[in-house]
Amino acid sequence: MQRRTFLQRIGLAAAATAVITPRTVLAAEAPKGPNAMSLDAALKAITGGKKVTPSDKVHLKAPEIAENGAVVPVTIEVDSPMTNDDYVKAIHVFATKNSNVRCADIMLTPANGAAMFATRIKLGSSQDVLVVAETSKGEFLSAKQSVKVTIGGCG
Amino acid sequence: MAERKSLIKFKPKKYKNGEIVKVNFMVMHPMETGMRKDKKTGKLVPADYISEVKFFFDDKPFTTMQVWESVSTNPVFTINFKVPGEGTLKVVYKTNTGEVQEKTKKVKPKG
Amino acid sequence: MKTKSILAATLLCGALAMGGEQFAMSDADRALYAELLENNPAEMDVEWGGELVEENCGGDAGLAKFMGVSEAKLPEYISGFPRYIKKFDSVLGIDQVMQALMAQNGHKPFKLSSKEMFAMLAYAKSLANDEPVRIDVNANPQMKAAYKLGEEVFMTKRGGRGLSCNSCHSADIVGSVLRTQPLPDLGEAGAGATWPAYRMTKSQLRTLQRRFQGCMENALLAVLPIGSKEMVGLEVYVTNLAKEKNKTIAIPGLKR
Repeated sequence: MQRRTFLQRIGLAAAATAVITPRTVLAAEAPKGPNAMSLDAALKAITGGKKVTPSDKVHLKAPEIAENGAVVPVTIEVDSPMTNDDYVKAIHVFATKNSNVRCADIMLTPANGAAMFATRIKLGSSQDVLVVAETSKGEFLSAKQSVKVTIGGCG
Repeated sequence: MAERKSLIKFKPKKYKNGEIVKVNFMVMHPMETGMRKDKKTGKLVPADYISEVKFFFDDKPFTTMQVWESVSTNPVFTINFKVPGEGTLKVVYKTNTGEVQEKTKKVKPKG
Repeated sequence: MKTKSILAATLLCGALAMGGEQFAMSDADRALYAELLENNPAEMDVEWGGELVEENCGGDAGLAKFMGVSEAKLPEYISGFPRYIKKFDSVLGIDQVMQALMAQNGHKPFKLSSKEMFAMLAYAKSLANDEPVRIDVNANPQMKAAYKLGEEVFMTKRGGRGLSCNSCHSADIVGSVLRTQPLPDLGEAGAGATWPAYRMTKSQLRTLQRRFQGCMENALLAVLPIGSKEMVGLEVYVTNLAKEKNKTIAIPGLKR
């Protein structure tokens, strides 16, 4: 077909889908950002290559469906006595598909009493949220949850 | 607003010595990722986000956070704190642009 | 025709079906969001608003005096806004009253659409927290007229798609999902009692009339100016919906 007609059709299709363009497409075109880091690199930096084990001691609460990607609540609790001999040293929160996967690294001490961290994060697209808890005994325990980000509503 | 607005809240508001309370710290900050384009100029808005939050009790640090731009605008952070007695809780936060601010709140256990 | 108007609304928001899937948040998800109310960034706006009211209006005492009530009765009085204010022979929102007070105190009033005024409005309305919505649309002929005007604005179809507020917010359509969001019953949702609110998608404090403007933009309706008779009338109408459902004032709210 004529190039102009083809372009017009693309234009129309783009305009029609523009209203609900999936964030993943936008994210791919968007610049990487100064702190861009992949999950593998981020995990390696924390664990030094040591194994990360999924554990039911790590409780991650996040919505299965997030009604907007700007404010996604996440709460992490880790079962631990939080004594000087046995406590959670750090909780790391990752948004596995964000350009910079790192969200926050929380260094705790026994003074916290119980291992917990909550905040709200930005998710550029539907993805897994991964949390890694580092214990004073040198273990790396994890939990993960898939969060679907919807771009819904009117305005 | 000369100084950046922030709030420290304890839950519960009334607590005893030795009790574990939730400490909520929130601050007004745009948390710019450096990947957003200004609608008017079309230029990228430079990254401007809180990069570190440190919690002190009577000037002794007990929790340190390294924070990244993926955290929501006007961030809220919640941790636990086992009340060791009367004293002062201090939060010092820094941004990637070198801004440093602090906020304090008295810890006053009842009983 | 109902089907036609739902279709129009659907097309309007460009809902090319996402594979036919209707996303709906579970109760567990909604509970997570409800928890966010406990630590609402807009609390900082309310605190700032309080400082601005102190600087520009003489604080709660100054507000009460200007409104002609005792400080003790101020929360109850605030819970009845928008009100007919005899001094200005108009039905006004708290923000407009504060503008007049600022002028009286020799300050240049903040614009109704400014961040400062949003914060001040949130602070002033928060003084009525835990009070029921007390707006009285039959208090006097002026309130009756404002209510009638508001209802007319709510019901009138206009704009490129021939939509009215009622097209998406009528009792029959309420609950249908439009672009993944269930359409709310504005009375049941307590819009009149929970705005100003922090809008998560905007990461800012916004007021009810500002939200009306956003809705109008999206429905392709000409946007009405904040503080206009029509917008105040609309706020009267929508606030009365919350009163009918016995809603309690809780500022700041938290909205998508």
